[in-house]
Amino acid sequence: MINQQINYIQQIYRIILTLIAIWFLNLIWPFISDVILMLVFAFLFTTLLLSSVDTFERKIGNRGLSVLGVVIILLTSISTFIGSFISQISIQAQEFSERVDQATMMSEFKSLGDKITSAMPSFMKSEESSSDYLANKLTEVTQSVLGSLGSLVSIVGNFMFIAVMVFIFTIILLSEYHKFKKALVNSIPNKFFEVGLKLIYNIEKSVSSYLRGQFLSAASVGGMSIAGLLLLNFFGANITLVIFIGIIAGLANLIPLVGPFVGMIPALLIAFMNNLGNDAATSHMFLGTIPSPFFCIDIIFMFLIVQQIEGNLITPALVGKSVGLHPMLVMIVLLIGGTLLGPLGMLFAVPATGVIKVIIKEIAFVRKNAHLL
Amino acid sequence: MKSAKWENIFKGWDNSESEAVHTLKKIPVFKNLSHKDFNELENMMHHRDYKVGDFIFKNRAPGEGMYIIMRGSIKITIGTRSGNENTLAELDKGEFFGELALFDDEPRSANAIAIEDCKLLGFFTQDLMILQERNPVLGHKIMFNLGGLLGERLRRTNHMLIKEQSK
Repeated sequence: MINQQINYIQQIYRIILTLIAIWFLNLIWPFISDVILMLVFAFLFTTLLLSSVDTFERKIGNRGLSVLGVVIILLTSISTFIGSFISQISIQAQEFSERVDQATMMSEFKSLGDKITSAMPSFMKSEESSSDYLANKLTEVTQSVLGSLGSLVSIVGNFMFIAVMVFIFTIILLSEYHKFKKALVNSIPNKFFEVGLKLIYNIEKSVSSYLRGQFLSAASVGGMSIAGLLLLNFFGANITLVIFIGIIAGLANLIPLVGPFVGMIPALLIAFMNNLGNDAATSHMFLGTIPSPFFCIDIIFMFLIVQQIEGNLITPALVGKSVGLHPMLVMIVLLIGGTLLGPLGMLFAVPATGVIKVIIKEIAFVRKNAHLL
Repeated sequence: MKSAKWENIFKGWDNSESEAVHTLKKIPVFKNLSHKDFNELENMMHHRDYKVGDFIFKNRAPGEGMYIIMRGSIKITIGTRSGNENTLAELDKGEFFGELALFDDEPRSANAIAIEDCKLLGFFTQDLMILQERNPVLGHKIMFNLGGLLGERLRRTNHMLIKEQSK
């Protein structure tokens, strides 16, 4: 009887402590959220680069130099990509602005509106001319998109700060990873040592196989998008910067559900920029039946096919098994991640849930075997 | 008197091996390994300290790997301490135990208890798997040695069985 009472008191005590911990975390969260986010990013990059650094270290026998080598290779690739992308896109934007002024854009949208209206079945056409309305709307949207580019500067500044901090954390983690891990393992009490070691190993394995799977799946989306865009060009889509669009589509694909749609935006924008004023492209029909100005329906269709191949064939084979979460749970955690942290939250929602799943599984295992430890 | 400056300069030239490497060299599982291999292994090993009477592991507990005794001694027992404890073996410095757990998911088949304060080196399934990925040649050498060791034990058991049957 007394034992039962003590148990109840312990339970209440635990609940109160948990509530206080949640309240305290909520209180300090705004101050530490950025740092935690940076550390999570750094940990993910470390997991991705660790095997390369380890391989280098075995070859040259110096950890510091191998971290430096890998970081230099990575930075060179990223800066080459960003540099050439910016120069290409600025050339493209310059050509576009030279070719098209606001009046031309307005008249183009007007003729586009007329073409779409004429292609519609008669019952869908309104009494008023919709072409003017459509042209105004499209011009408005285009202007607002161009105008909002200014606010990008502050976002870029903030991003640069986070990127630099993540970079520094990644270098430290890469250099000291095995020491940190060993210190963590050494801190496990003897009683839970073997179980704790297994837990750390399983978390590492789950995160690295998820990342490797995502990386391969992103590469496959990039490759398939490039092939698809080249095929569309063969039919006269006139899309430039194909490789960059493919890489962006691959990277955007890392964010589940939303990413694939983000990935097609650059392709649609470039098709629009390149084909504005081109009558053949404006009046293009998808499969000869559906109006597809600037090949936009063709592009969307191509990306949908790429997503279907990636979603149904590649990802289940590479990523699905590594995390092993039910699709319904994936959608729920994506919504929670998106609400809490925006796109970044969506990016981390699935691997974080995978890690939590591993932890819960191991805790259940420890509870079941507690009397044997 | 030795100068600290010269000691620092020739720091890397010190070829004297650590206590862990010295112990590992005596273990048949790690025979035929190079100096570099031993250094890599030493970095992977987990150093654990146990007080007299501490359980290193309990019978039927999930097992993850082997332990090597660097200092002190342990006993392998079955049964419980409250009466029917039966000591199967006592192991000293330079001996090892629990190596079967490197290969299977079966629970431990006996207790391991420290009979004096001891320092152990732990080598676990996860370490062996990481080693197979990071340095397959070294991983294979260890697997070969482990296979040889288990084969030798099987041969000895068969020999004893035949001897018993022929009695």
